Amino acid sequence: MLEKLEQLVAELGELDRQERIELLIDLARTLPPLPDRLAEFKDAAHRVPECQSPVFLFPEREQDTFILHADVPPEAPTVRGFMAMLVEGLSGAPLQEAVLVPADLIERSGLRELLGMQRVSGLHGVLRRVRDMAIRMAAEPPSV
Amino acid sequence: MSHQYAHPDMLVSPEWVEQHLNDPKVRIVETDEDPALYFLGHIPGAAEIGWHHHLQDQVSRTYISVPQFEALCSKAGIANDTTVVFYGDNSNWWACYAYWAFKLFGHEDCRIMNGGYAHWKAIGKPMTTEVPSFTPARYQAHPIDQTRIRAFRDDVLAHIEAGHKLVDVRSPKEYTGEALHMENYPQEGSLRAGHIPGAHSVPWATAIHPDGTFKSADELRKIYLEGLDLKTTDDIIAYCRIGERSSHTWFVLKYLLGLPNVRNYDGSWTEWGNLVGVPIVRGNQPGVSPR
Repeated sequence: MLEKLEQLVAELGELDRQERIELLIDLARTLPPLPDRLAEFKDAAHRVPECQSPVFLFPEREQDTFILHADVPPEAPTVRGFMAMLVEGLSGAPLQEAVLVPADLIERSGLRELLGMQRVSGLHGVLRRVRDMAIRMAAEPPSV
Repeated sequence: MSHQYAHPDMLVSPEWVEQHLNDPKVRIVETDEDPALYFLGHIPGAAEIGWHHHLQDQVSRTYISVPQFEALCSKAGIANDTTVVFYGDNSNWWACYAYWAFKLFGHEDCRIMNGGYAHWKAIGKPMTTEVPSFTPARYQAHPIDQTRIRAFRDDVLAHIEAGHKLVDVRSPKEYTGEALHMENYPQEGSLRAGHIPGAHSVPWATAIHPDGTFKSADELRKIYLEGLDLKTTDDIIAYCRIGERSSHTWFVLKYLLGLPNVRNYDGSWTEWGNLVGVPIVRGNQPGVSPR
């Protein structure tokens, strides 16, 4: 389950510091821009408050599929790269799988090592929110 | 009263930096929150010094050793008489933190580039992804008596018992203690919320314009000297969550306003908010010292 995500986590985790930075920069470039219909809702309600960088999350569902849109400024390439990994790995996954996004993927991908203990908590905030949103959606019947 | 900063040379403009890009006596250093940002593009010839992976010990919560600092400078081509100019993201939080750390190790000539990374980029100055290599320099550190610019938790306890002044530079919600009660997401790092008794709230960004450059000397005097009634004879401690935003305010108080006795409490709230038995005040008033 969540094979694409696990693949990215494993790949990041195996790299040395410099290679990891380069892969995050590459991933950051792939984060799709927010659809126009969402761009105007970049407000406090969609911002992750634990994260020092302005991270905005827009989770949606299409039937039983989890869809994730997100926005992170290019000036925060590590956080943006992390976000791109989550979007690539989770968006389009069945809701029932998205709720199982593993809590330890930040450690396994070497991001704690890269960012340091004091700063990695922002990423945990992002991850927790994504998972909680998926759980909330999975608990509701799909809208018609 | 002069309209100048107290130590105007400690702050350099992007134009000054541009004129000194090839000056062998000057080393430009980028220090960022985001460890990947330097590799997306930086000032030509700038060295990267990371607050976490270069300046901090990777096991204990402290700084690197003197020999490690000497090796770091040597590798970056920094000699004892090099003018080191720091800049970075987030309006120079970490640049000020690196500046402060360099001062702990006794580096003589440190400067901050006004506005940092975002300002340099916004006004269209040159950037490159080319990572420079430097001829190793000879460096011998002469660490200062740390207690002149650094406060440890026992210093803070003595400070509040003596009724001296503190500046809390975190966001208003962190200061009042509301921030730990947001929804179901307790922020990691601190078990208690609020502020150190007697601390006045002046969020770090009060000192800058929207473009990240520092406000004028007159504006800064109004905010800090008049607003908090700070005097040159005062003993002052600044703190935030982990000591980086308070380095920014430390730089403002010490170099732009010329207050001689300002210390940064780098343990900050992630230490104080977890300590057993220390006094904490909730709400928007500074509160009183315990005695």
